[in-house]
Amino acid sequence: MDIRELQGYASFFMTIFLVVILYGYIIHLYRSEKKGERDYEKYGNMALDDEIDSAPIEQNPKTQREKTEGNK
Amino acid sequence: MFHWLEKNPFLFSVGVFLVIAFAGLVEILPNFAEASRPVVGLKPYTVLELAGKEVYKKDHCIACHSQLIRPFKAETDRYGQYSLSGEYAYDRPFLWGSKRTGPDLHRVGNYRTTDWHENHMWDPKSVVPQSIMPAYQHMFTNIADIDTAYAEALTVKTVFDTPYDTPNGVKLGTLDEAKAAALEEAKAIAADMKNQDVKDAVANGQIPEIVAIIAYLNRLK
Amino acid sequence: MQSNAALEYDYSVAKLFTYTTILFGFLGMLIGTLIASQLAFPELNYLLGEYGTFSRLRPMHTNIVIFGFTLSGIWATFYYVGQRTLKVSMAESKFLMFIGKLHFWLYFFGALVAVVTLLMGISASKEYAEFEWPVDVVIVLVWVLWGISIFGLIGIRREKSLYISLWYYIACFLGIAMLYLFNNMEVPTYFVSGGIGSIFHSVSMYSGTNDALVQWWYGHNAVAFGFTVPIVAMIYYYLPKESGQAVYSYKLSLLSFWGLMFVYLWAGSHHVLWSTVPDWMQTMGSIFSVVLILPSWGSAINMLLTMKGEWNQLTENPLIKFMVLASTFYMLSTLEGPIQAVKSVNAIAHFTDWIPGHVHDGVLGWVVFMIMAALFHMAPRMFKREIYSKKLMEAQFWLQTTAVVLYFTSMWIAGITQGMMWRAVDEYGNLMYSFIDTVAVLHPYYTIRTLAGVLYLVGFLMFAFNMVKTMTASRKLEEEPQFRSPMAA
Repeated sequence: MDIRELQGYASFFMTIFLVVILYGYIIHLYRSEKKGERDYEKYGNMALDDEIDSAPIEQNPKTQREKTEGNK
Repeated sequence: MFHWLEKNPFLFSVGVFLVIAFAGLVEILPNFAEASRPVVGLKPYTVLELAGKEVYKKDHCIACHSQLIRPFKAETDRYGQYSLSGEYAYDRPFLWGSKRTGPDLHRVGNYRTTDWHENHMWDPKSVVPQSIMPAYQHMFTNIADIDTAYAEALTVKTVFDTPYDTPNGVKLGTLDEAKAAALEEAKAIAADMKNQDVKDAVANGQIPEIVAIIAYLNRLK
Repeated sequence: MQSNAALEYDYSVAKLFTYTTILFGFLGMLIGTLIASQLAFPELNYLLGEYGTFSRLRPMHTNIVIFGFTLSGIWATFYYVGQRTLKVSMAESKFLMFIGKLHFWLYFFGALVAVVTLLMGISASKEYAEFEWPVDVVIVLVWVLWGISIFGLIGIRREKSLYISLWYYIACFLGIAMLYLFNNMEVPTYFVSGGIGSIFHSVSMYSGTNDALVQWWYGHNAVAFGFTVPIVAMIYYYLPKESGQAVYSYKLSLLSFWGLMFVYLWAGSHHVLWSTVPDWMQTMGSIFSVVLILPSWGSAINMLLTMKGEWNQLTENPLIKFMVLASTFYMLSTLEGPIQAVKSVNAIAHFTDWIPGHVHDGVLGWVVFMIMAALFHMAPRMFKREIYSKKLMEAQFWLQTTAVVLYFTSMWIAGITQGMMWRAVDEYGNLMYSFIDTVAVLHPYYTIRTLAGVLYLVGFLMFAFNMVKTMTASRKLEEEPQFRSPMAA
């Protein structure tokens, strides 16, 4: 098998692979929202509610620890 | 399953990188295994021609001129045989250009002469009355950088095995030898020119940019 | 939470980059207008002697607009959006503050060196990668500093999830890093030859067709990751924030992101159709260019739908106008691009003025409009003053919109006319026109384009004036506006 043939196969299968992943991702997004596991649309509020003292949509555990320490 | 991608910035970055690197890997890398092979009989540029190529780059001729004849009848009628990959084997960088405000130059050496270029560079309207190209009169006084051209030739010879100093090929030799050879070539071109300043400079052992770029343009065939 | 009460976002780095955005924007457009006039009136080539010809100035124009104006705009907005969506202030980390400032000053130094070297004609002559190796080294350092800033901020964030805009900024960072490094692989001749000739000079690692392939893989994707990805990052933040409407569909934005990442890189070879690049690669380039419409339109439509039910804002708020028009132009140019990438269309369009036409409806209509809107939005928050004049902004909007339309329509006609004339043959199969005939016919279109350039430049000056007045003379604000940017009539 010469390099050209290898290149052809590689591009074909990688493309298929990535397309499958992409579609898998679409299904994952909608299914996990339907099942109520996660609400993706709430992340849209990150742009709207972005004051430094407004509550994060999801608290980063690392900085939360710092904060509680700071409050002592 | 995909959650880690959305939450972990490091894994996310790796993911993005893989996806965007993939096309480059598949598209480009295999071509490097199969390095560009020169067409039969292709010679590397002489030092004077390289100095001319530097002038071409310095004044950025690729802003308006291409060096790529596409395989259409209209193009081969106008410019000659369509371009072959192997013809560019010694072009670092490639100078295809992307815009033809002026005509293609890949085979300009076939149909333009030294004196035509001299007149055209001094005053484009004198040979093409409707031309919108600027005159490049500073090329007649600026001196071409032969040292750098020699350094370039030596570099491609050492690093990329460009065939200099082969039997019946282009001789490079030492810096002094190369300078002497470039001056000889320049004298032959200056003999076909009429500008007295240029002739005087070459007689004094200096090579104006115009001589170098004409050497380069004449070589494009 | 007492300790955090006085904590504020720190915009000092964002402000610095805002100044250079305005400065380089003006310079880039000034040179652009000059070289556009040179094509219509060639006598203008001789204003600055050797340094004023079209050919010497053209790389100045492209590089100042790309690496001066756009990069500054990207960084001005990053140092603003990054802090806000991560809910962390630069003031919280001395280290990041230092890196941010160093990032700016090293960038500014590099930009000055770059301008001088290009003016002197020190150029690698690869489009949009003209800088010789010493400038490349500075650019790489600047890029690394930006990387430290991005991941440093992310490291101390309060908000765990990364907002979609940050995804795009990260992609911009990674994409340009990869592309720039590989395309600028070059060997400095001074060192290999043992100290002969100019120290600036280098030769490309790749030769001929390989070099072309790498260059257009870079050239196309530098547009992708410099002119598309970070601008999408901006619009995903500024349009929702200015209008007070959350993104229409966050899921769609995630999908478009991955779609864009996956498809864009494949399309690079459409710049070398009908060349000596292997055939299958050219075809691949064409196909993926067409597929690229989907993720691009995904983002653009998402933006337009964000305004659903709030279209009255379009008439009331000129900033919304700028952003909506920007996404419309984004749709236009992402449709136009794939059309040009179809091989039969490309046979006519390539090498003609249609290509600069396409670039400019994208850049003038999308990139510059979005960056100006972003700067306008940030100004009241960064300088704590209301925007100086709404009327001026309205006038600027219409002036520049007219300019963009004039620009791309004249270049469409010019490009297609010239492309058709090059291939026109008479009944015996001989070429009908000499090359110079096809140049002479373009004069009216070049003149229209010059006019468009002048109008756009005047619009940009109005923008700069409005911004400077906002920074210095406008009414002070008591507290930060939440959504709509306050502006004086």
